[in-house]
Amino acid sequence: MNELMPEQFMFLSAALFIIGMVGVLTRRNVLVIFMCVELMLASVNIAFVGFAWEFSQMTGQIFALFVIAIAAAEAVIGLGIIMALTRQRDTVDINEVRELRQ
Amino acid sequence: MAAEVLIFNLLSAVAIVSAVAMITMRNPVHSAIALVLTFVNVAAIFIMLRAEFLAAVQIIVYTGAVLVLILFVLMLVNPDDLPEFHSGKPMQNVFGFGVGLILLAEISVAILTRTVVAEPGPWNEEGVAAAGGNIQVIGQLLYSGYVLPIQATALVLLAATIGALFLGRPDEDQEPSPKRRTVATISLAHTRGADDDLIPALRAANIKREAGDRDLIMARDADEFTTSAEEEEKKGQSE
Amino acid sequence: MSSWLFLIPLLPLAAAVINFILGRWFLQHASQWLATLAVAGSFILSIPVFLEIVSDEQAISQHLYTWIPAGDFDIPVTLFVDQLTATMLLVVTGVGLLVHIYSIGYMHGDPGIYRFFSYLPLFVFSMLMLVMANNFLVLFVFWEAVGLCSFLLIGFWYRRRSAASAAKKAFIVNRVGDFGFGIGILLIFVTYGTIEYAGVFDMVGDASQTTITVIALLLFTGAIGKSAQLPLFVWLPDAMEGPTPVSALIHAATMVTAGIFVLARAYPVVSQSADAMMVISIVGIATAFVAATIAVTQYDIKKVVAYSTVSQLGFMAFAIGTGAWIAAIFHLVTHAFFKGLLFLGAGSVIHGMHEEQDMRKMGGLKKYMPITYWTFLIGAAANAGIIPLAGFWSKDEIILGTWLYDHTVIMVIAFITAFFTSLYMFRAVFMTFHGEERFNPDEVHPHESPRIMTIPLIVLAVFAATIGFIGFPPEDGWFHHFLINAFPGLTLPDVAWSTIFIFAGISTLIALSGLFIQYMAYVKKSISPAGIAGLLGPLYKLAANRWYLDEIYDVLIVRPLVAFSMFLWRFVDAQVIDGTVNGVATLVTYTSQQWRKAQTGLIANYVFAIALGAIIIIGAFMIFGSNLFQ
Repeated sequence: MNELMPEQFMFLSAALFIIGMVGVLTRRNVLVIFMCVELMLASVNIAFVGFAWEFSQMTGQIFALFVIAIAAAEAVIGLGIIMALTRQRDTVDINEVRELRQ
Repeated sequence: MAAEVLIFNLLSAVAIVSAVAMITMRNPVHSAIALVLTFVNVAAIFIMLRAEFLAAVQIIVYTGAVLVLILFVLMLVNPDDLPEFHSGKPMQNVFGFGVGLILLAEISVAILTRTVVAEPGPWNEEGVAAAGGNIQVIGQLLYSGYVLPIQATALVLLAATIGALFLGRPDEDQEPSPKRRTVATISLAHTRGADDDLIPALRAANIKREAGDRDLIMARDADEFTTSAEEEEKKGQSE
Repeated sequence: MSSWLFLIPLLPLAAAVINFILGRWFLQHASQWLATLAVAGSFILSIPVFLEIVSDEQAISQHLYTWIPAGDFDIPVTLFVDQLTATMLLVVTGVGLLVHIYSIGYMHGDPGIYRFFSYLPLFVFSMLMLVMANNFLVLFVFWEAVGLCSFLLIGFWYRRRSAASAAKKAFIVNRVGDFGFGIGILLIFVTYGTIEYAGVFDMVGDASQTTITVIALLLFTGAIGKSAQLPLFVWLPDAMEGPTPVSALIHAATMVTAGIFVLARAYPVVSQSADAMMVISIVGIATAFVAATIAVTQYDIKKVVAYSTVSQLGFMAFAIGTGAWIAAIFHLVTHAFFKGLLFLGAGSVIHGMHEEQDMRKMGGLKKYMPITYWTFLIGAAANAGIIPLAGFWSKDEIILGTWLYDHTVIMVIAFITAFFTSLYMFRAVFMTFHGEERFNPDEVHPHESPRIMTIPLIVLAVFAATIGFIGFPPEDGWFHHFLINAFPGLTLPDVAWSTIFIFAGISTLIALSGLFIQYMAYVKKSISPAGIAGLLGPLYKLAANRWYLDEIYDVLIVRPLVAFSMFLWRFVDAQVIDGTVNGVATLVTYTSQQWRKAQTGLIANYVFAIALGAIIIIGAFMIFGSNLFQ
């Protein structure tokens, strides 16, 4: 193995994504869940950039750039929602918030 | 060549380990620090994959902006309000890890058994160098073929900013008629709330104190434990 | 001339639409002028059309558009005016115009005036289209449209329960006839492959005699309903619940004559079937007689005029049945004027008596409302057949026709009916205008109607008195020679003057005897009407109770229908259909309640579902393959 293989970054991307997903599934602190989502987005970026590298294209990088932009927007909104939530409910426990049932 | 692979593997290993640390850390601040480490490693991997600009953006936006924002929010949220546990219910954990493992298996099979075939583009190392570098190439592409998406993204960011302003605005004083409020929180430290004869009233109302170390009780309506100014005046006169 | 033929029906339609849309909020009372002007415009435009028909003796037509193009079969909307239609045009727009003017006075102050003045031009439009149609389908459409207008106008004061139910009754009873009429048109199409008049009439002989008879009878079924013949005339007296001008225009002058018009229009078909003609004449004479006997016993002034209308329509029907086609149309024209006059006069009386319709509470009104009296008297005399007023000429000619075409029995009954006609007409006149004043002078102050109402009365009275001369001398008048072109193959009979004089003499004698009897009964009081009624006993009761027709229908049709409807409602609808519907709903509710439990509100569960979904989709890709990865 003397050359970088595409499988490597694909595995890295998959691993980070799944770690993020497991975090979302198992954690209860809404802030940590939020960080996990960010991690999942970043892991997808790795795949994008990796494929761009493998095929000598730029589309993947540009797509990753858009993903980062959207992630930033999502972060702003997500954190705003978390702030509003804590102010109203005094909790960051995802299992305490059951409004979706109504 | 072998060095490159080695470095990649090393960076990957650190990223994965710190990611795992992030989801297992008890303290969310520690989780955030672990996430920073992951992102820095990801940025380094971007550099290895000839995406220097993205690496910079990754550092600036993710580690610089988003994570700092997260830490801010972590600080703003009362640490006492944070759950005293870091993980979900046992069943939740089992299912979560189970799903993760199945997905990992599936994707591994997919990665190992299939290959992605595509036409190589012009942007190999020489092509990028001829165009002046990674930033120049991205700039040229973004503002020629991707003008509309860029504008759309700008709109999304604008909307997000306005949304954040809306979500983060201070609570308006929503007490035009106190009777409307069915639940109010008062503090016993409050001059009125600390009224001596309030304690029996609390007991009579059979109100349980919540989270023993907090001086917070829930009132059923705004007037339950408070007395109006007129009544106070009368009381003063009678005494 | 024919290029702006379309304006004649268009003007009333435009007025109707504008009044209907803008009337409530913008026009209010201005709507009456718009409607009247529109109908006046139609009338003025109709005159040159009529004159052109008179001078050219050629039918004119204007193709507007093709309504239903379907291969080699198409339904054109073409305005078609021949002698028959031209006559109807003048009658409809002329009487319509006078009724509109009269209505301005009669409906003054009514809050729904814009509605009235949008329905009324709508009716005029529909009636014009009905007479100007050149095929049976368009005829049928507007046949129904005039029925609709009739429904709307009878129920104009819809808050009154009796008006609402009278409107429903008129509509539903007419359905019976219209059903037959519609089948008749279908049969025409099946038989001849076309429904255009010209095409059908050219090919009449191609069908078998039985088919022609059936077609003619089915068309007559429609006429039975619309023209209020036995046994379906029960709706017309009830239709008097509508405003009186409506009764004058729709239920006396125009719409009810649509049935007669259709029979005359289908002359080439109907005249081919002697059996159908026989049925028509029997039904017609029966209607004329029954309605006349009922009219003698009624006390409501509008009901008297209404039954008189039914009776006169019976006259027209049996005139057609006996073969006196032109006499029927002639009577249609004169009847439109004098019966319109009688209704408007009755309306004027009712108006002056503060909405009182019972003749027993009138009397001696002559001195309070002289114009109404004289015009009403002219109308009544014309109806009764006093020489030389319009009704005399046309009715006499119908009776003469029965003799000419050898229907002796019908002739005898027709003379008896004419006697009854005279009886009920002068009974109404004397009870209303002569004798002692039976109303309470403290409550009721009879007064003459405003000029806007009396002028139409005077105009109509002039026509009612003189219009008969277009048919003079009998069977040889200008009108006969004009109209004969619309009835190809019909020849004017050559009648000796002696015959004419004999019939005129008998008719006059009969009419005058009726006048005399009623004069003795209600003015001189030398004959007691109650005594005669008692003498006739059951016969009087039979007539006074309208031959129990309503009761018979109630027992035979209405009650079983209601019972059946109750069954449908109580059992089929409430239990079977509702049970099914509710059962389905309950099932859905139950299922939803079960599914609801899946909505825990826990975000972790939703995320878990998403992850599971991702696994399943990726797994499916892996197993079944895809072109995502090679």
